[in-house]
Parts: sequence; structure tokens; C-alpha cells
Amino acid sequence: MSHIIFGDKRIGLDEGQTVLSALLEQGYDIANSCRAGVCQSCLMKAVEGEIPAEAQIGLKDTLKLQGYFMACSCKPDTPLHIATDANEGLQSSAKVIEHKLFNKDILCIRLKPEENFEYNAGQFISVWKEAKVGRSYSLASVSGLDDYLELHIRRISNGVVSNWLHDEVKAGDILQIRAASGNCFYTPGMPEQKILLAGTGTGLAPLIGIARDALKQDHTGEIHLVHGTRHVDDLYMHQTLLDMTKQNNKFNYLASVLQGDENQPAVSSVSIDKQLIDVAGDIKDCKIFLCGDPDMVNNLKRKLFIAGASMNNIHTDPFIASNS
Amino acid sequence: MSSLYERIGGQAAVDAAVDIFYRKVLVDDRINEFFDGVDMDQQINKQKGFLTMVFGGPNEYTGKDMREGHKHLVERGLNDSHVDAVIENLGATLQELGVAGEDIQAIADIANSVRDDVLNR
Repeated sequence: MSHIIFGDKRIGLDEGQTVLSALLEQGYDIANSCRAGVCQSCLMKAVEGEIPAEAQIGLKDTLKLQGYFMACSCKPDTPLHIATDANEGLQSSAKVIEHKLFNKDILCIRLKPEENFEYNAGQFISVWKEAKVGRSYSLASVSGLDDYLELHIRRISNGVVSNWLHDEVKAGDILQIRAASGNCFYTPGMPEQKILLAGTGTGLAPLIGIARDALKQDHTGEIHLVHGTRHVDDLYMHQTLLDMTKQNNKFNYLASVLQGDENQPAVSSVSIDKQLIDVAGDIKDCKIFLCGDPDMVNNLKRKLFIAGASMNNIHTDPFIASNS
Repeated sequence: MSSLYERIGGQAAVDAAVDIFYRKVLVDDRINEFFDGVDMDQQINKQKGFLTMVFGGPNEYTGKDMREGHKHLVERGLNDSHVDAVIENLGATLQELGVAGEDIQAIADIANSVRDDVLNR
């Protein structure tokens, strides 16, 4: 049995127990959300001891080198000494400059960071309500094109942060945010490659970011974006995307709506995977980004792989709901 | 004489084979239910490890890992017929990549050698 030292307390770990679970069990109020090693809300810093590799998967090198790790996926074999107050330096302030609804469920927030904020469009940042409650949202804005950060926030019933952002936060407020992370973003180097982007709900946010970033970086290959929703009323930024299609001959937008109103432009009830395969040509060479509901992301990934997509070319960002 | 692993192309052969092999497994109704709900990226890495081993390459596969890794599947009914199907898919993958018949046989023999560990016997 191993143990951790947290502040001046020694806390034993059961076989296979995570640092997060042990601390919560001891009554510590530790910020956390997905509990799946993705959102990085439970980031902690080790000052001494060996950090298991799986507790640092997906972290930036700069964070790794400083000893940061995710408590929810950390099961140390040897004693680990953890700092109690390491996270203040991670957060920065940003002012709300726009707060408007896209539709009845989805809010668009634009933030102006108070200091230089580096990110790639499509990555996610976390927004913090109080010190311990953070949630991750993907960036629809593009660094170098937009002088603000844009987030799309779906209202979750009983969602602590989403309801707060919808109902209480207003333009002019200052929010606490934490650095961008995630692997879903455009990488230059193969400008002629065909790009397929697909997502449901606010999975559209990172996809728009990635598409605009690719166009900004003079991508020459076709870019196809498919947005899937249950109902035609759940679509948002529909006109913006139609306009983007008109303005860029490389960009193409399609909506896949379960209960479709096929009279609208670009709206069809054909499933997302069929639409993608239809436009893919040789899918083996396409670069693919899938964002949004985890079941949808995993299903699509499997279907597209079976259809011939290369695993190395599929990038996913499943929006894992908070478990805290 | 060059080793089996060198002959078929080493790491590059593993990379070329893994997508084809995994795709065949996922569309094979005899075995694909065992792959439902697994993380595909993790699975691809495991399959690379498996292919490296059966290609006679450097690996850290142990009988214990094989047993542990498949225990929950044996409880769900994994048996000889499923191992046969996997080896069949492996053979078809290698044929597609133009690997010589006797090398395919040698690879199938290595795969067969871990059958009892996989099935926890």
C-alpha cells in the first residue's frame, strides 16, 4: 500500500485507488469534473516522488516538467508529496465582452483575456465558478483572427457552471479561466489533405474553430463540416456556415438532422457517417475531427475506421459530462 | 539468414498491418462483440504489441499479461473458435500485404503458441 503526503497530512491509498478518490474520501474539497483523465480540472502538483505516466497523459510538456498531474488518474506505486496550493498560477482573468443566445439552449460567450493567452482553435479551456468548480469548453475562436475567445455553452439541467454562465454572468464580468489543452486542432504541413469535421450539439464550436484556422493557414484541400442535431431547431450558426460555404470554394457545410426539415438549405436526414463517407472520396487519406457527445464520437470513429479511415488521422474530443 | 521480423519489414510492417487487421476484426461478426465499448486508441496500441510479438519482433509480452488481459473475455465466453477467427484475420491481413505463405504459417504458429494463455487454461 502506498501513500501521499498532502500539506502536512499522510494519507494512505488502497490498492488501485486514485489520489483524487483518497482525498475526497478524507473530506478534502478537490476541484474535479470528468474523472476520466481528460478535462484536467483536478490538476495537482507533486513536489516530491514519482508521478505515474498515465497521470500526465495529454498534459503540456511545460506542465509535466513542473510536476503537474491529474489526480483522477494517478495511482502512485511509491509515496508522492503533493503541494496544496499550486494551482493559483494556472488561472488567468478574462472579461466577458459578449453574452448572447444562439438558440434556447446554447449560449455564445466571448471573452477578452487580460493577458496574452496562447491556444489553438479547437482546444478547450476551463472556466471557473469559485475556486473549486471548473468546467471545460472548446474554443470556436481562432488565434490571430479573433481578438477574443469564443465559447459555446449548452445549458445542462442541474449544471452548476452552465446555468451560472447562462443566467448570472453578464457582459463586463471578469471570469477565471485556465490554459488551453486538448489535441483537436489543425496542424499545418499537409495543405492539400481533405479534412472531415463532424460533431453534435456544441461539438460545433471546436469544428468551426478548426475549419477557420485551416482556411486562415491557407489550407488548399476540401474542408467538409457536418453538424448533427436531433431537430432542425437545435441547429445554430446555420446561416453563418452557409455564408462561409458561399465565400470559400474549399469549405462545405452540411447539417444532419434526425427529425429533418429537408426543405431548408444544407439540411438532410442522412446520417453523419453516410454524409462524411459520401464526400470523403478516398477516406484513407482524409484528416478527421470528431467532437461532441462521447457515444456519437465513438460510434463515428468506429464506423469511419471500418470504412477505411486511418486511425492516425482520426482526432476526437468526446465531451465527457461532469461527474462531480 | 534474416529473422522473420526483419524479413517481413519490422516496425513498418506492424504499422502497415495494424489498421487492416483491426478493421477485419471489427467487421467479423464472430468476434467483434468482444471489442464493443473498448477505447480504440488503446486497442490499436495493444494490437501493435500483439503483431510485433507474432511477427517475431522485440516485445515484452508475458503469459501473465495474456491471461490477465483476456480473463474478463473468457468469462464472457471467449473460446477456441474466437482465437481461430483472430488467426484467420491475421492470415488474411498478411496475404493482403503480400507476405510469403511460409512466413504467414510461422506467424500463425507463434499466435497459436499463446492460445492457452489467452484462454486462461
